[in-house]
Amino acid sequence: MFENIPVDVGMIYEGERIRKHAMHADLGGPKAIGVELLRVVPMEKIEKDEVIIKGKDIQEMGEGKAYPFGMFIEVAGEKLEEDLEGIFERKIHYFLNYIQGFMHLNSRDTIWCRVSKEAKKKGLTLKHIAEILITFYKTEFEVIKKVRVTLLTDEEEVKKFIEKARAIYEKRDARSRKLRDEDVDIFYACILCQSFAPQHVCIISPNRISLCGSISWFEGRAAVKIDPHGPIFEVKKGELLDEEKGEYSGVNEAVKKASNGAIERIYMHSMFGYPHTSCGCFEAIAFYIPEVDGIGIVHRNFKGLTPFGLPFSTLASQTGGGIQQEGFLGIAIEYLRSSKFFQGDGGWERIVWLPKELKERVKDAIPQELYDKIATEEIGDIEELKNFLREKQHPVVRRWVEKKEEKEEPAIVAEELELPAIGGGIKIILKNAKIYAETVIIKKTEKK
Amino acid sequence: MVKMIAVSGKGGVGKTMVSCLLIKSLAELGIENILAIDADPDSNLAESLGERVEKTIGDIREEIFNEKAQVGVSWRDVLEYRIMETMVETDKFDLIAMGRPEGPGCYCAINHVLREVIDIFAKNYDVVVIDTEAGLEHLSRRTTRNVDVLLIVTDATKKGITTCKRIMELSKKLDINIGKIYGIINRASEDIREIINSANEIGLEIIGIIPEDEYVREYDLHGKPLVELPKDSKAWVSVREIAEKIIGEDKRDEPT
Repeated sequence: MFENIPVDVGMIYEGERIRKHAMHADLGGPKAIGVELLRVVPMEKIEKDEVIIKGKDIQEMGEGKAYPFGMFIEVAGEKLEEDLEGIFERKIHYFLNYIQGFMHLNSRDTIWCRVSKEAKKKGLTLKHIAEILITFYKTEFEVIKKVRVTLLTDEEEVKKFIEKARAIYEKRDARSRKLRDEDVDIFYACILCQSFAPQHVCIISPNRISLCGSISWFEGRAAVKIDPHGPIFEVKKGELLDEEKGEYSGVNEAVKKASNGAIERIYMHSMFGYPHTSCGCFEAIAFYIPEVDGIGIVHRNFKGLTPFGLPFSTLASQTGGGIQQEGFLGIAIEYLRSSKFFQGDGGWERIVWLPKELKERVKDAIPQELYDKIATEEIGDIEELKNFLREKQHPVVRRWVEKKEEKEEPAIVAEELELPAIGGGIKIILKNAKIYAETVIIKKTEKK
Repeated sequence: MVKMIAVSGKGGVGKTMVSCLLIKSLAELGIENILAIDADPDSNLAESLGERVEKTIGDIREEIFNEKAQVGVSWRDVLEYRIMETMVETDKFDLIAMGRPEGPGCYCAINHVLREVIDIFAKNYDVVVIDTEAGLEHLSRRTTRNVDVLLIVTDATKKGITTCKRIMELSKKLDINIGKIYGIINRASEDIREIINSANEIGLEIIGIIPEDEYVREYDLHGKPLVELPKDSKAWVSVREIAEKIIGEDKRDEPT
């Protein structure tokens, strides 16, 4: 396949780092600009495969120096769509790393390539690099029929090109941000946290980032490509069982398997019924405040108290450990920006309390008409919160009225309820308990 | 072949000096690709080697932690780029410094990727020398997976041998494979038979003894890089012998 190329090309060279003493020149990297872009173009735009080089070639470069580098790849084919550009573009990284004596790091407008002395000596040129890319694109993707590769090392040319590329990344990202759960068939699961929360399985979808905030759906996809059998793996989402709450048959099966049967079903976008589990890594905690029938959210960096009178750390100890717990849920801050944010529970209309710092951080995601109706730490306790919400006519207030008409609910409903130690070496377990009480008082016992 | 060498020991026993001179010796013995990992936030291997570290892996971890969750760009790729960027590249060796352990918050995902990336980087070298603290923190967090030789540096005191024993016990509990463990006695005076006996009692084989060295004291006093020690420095002569033993043994182990 690569008879005309003076160096070896193959998967064994992936991960090859060229050390300084073995380096001929850097292309891009910390000392020069480097940028890559792939575009899908109409068939008639490319007559036949083509290579264009503008600027110095590898053989003309000074040893140990860094040069600007721009790679523009245009691909054409009847069945190609613009949506595939990102996936194709990512392939540059793999293809170039297969070249012996050539290193490629990162993506987009922060790339860093390095050519070894050895490769230079063997006669490697930019034209060879371009030809390798053309061959790989056409053999790996049958739908790609024609390829044009333009390689730039002239500073002015690269500068012009980088501006153009950035505008396109932006457009592409805007489109990616709109990706929803229903647009894909594959979600991702992450079990990295099982070392300390053995039942915890994080389900990652376009609308639900991992609760540590580190693994988005795109990141999951990248991780699986690198290690398909690692702690992050694919989940076929399966059949949609509940659209509002976000329940899928495939997700349930995956969670059951990966939690060793401990968790049988989860809702992706609700904190009631069968909420997602929480490991301990969450960036924020959503907590249900029964007195106002609303949800508060507190983030890890907030050092003050929630309306419960408890800080983040205390709530965290109740939320973590991989247990399914209605009314307490660990989430990523980015999840507040999801278009399916607590969709099953009323979304933003149900949010009643946020620390000021967090509220400011996600301001763009909060519906304008609700912004002033959500309380912050200036509201100290539940009673004040109630008054605040009533005064501001927060949407949850409507639920209070509806609720009054409902039948009186038991104060405590539990399948199994273990009463705290009452001394004397016995414990009392109530099964299928429904307790009606005017007031429930839970008091700390006095120490003897 | 010997690939991963970890150098451990209590603070102040000369562990970083050993790491530094070991790297120098290995380079002089003809090993071309050496990676030095400074995994002890309380020491400064780079300084001993006459180099400066602008940014540590810990700094990168914090940056990524605060930037993560981007659309379209994977922070795994960014991480790889930044590690390469912070790496000190010299003709004889490359060096990365791990820096401080993480702050509050979840670093599971980032640490996982960090390990993968460093593992891939390490594959490009013939020998990796890790300067690690007595608690073996970085080994226990599995920044590395396999250690072929663990060198424990101690001073010539009974107390020092007790620390060696603790490090040996700790290393057995780690979820990594450790090939061989050797002791190195530093700043040894004339008669150290008793110390060698104590080491033997705990089953620690001594691979080398480094005598008191006036040069080292002088270099430390003036903050001069130990890598520049003159040829007649006793410390350097001793460490070079240790390096030869480690590499030589390796050659014997190789199938013919």
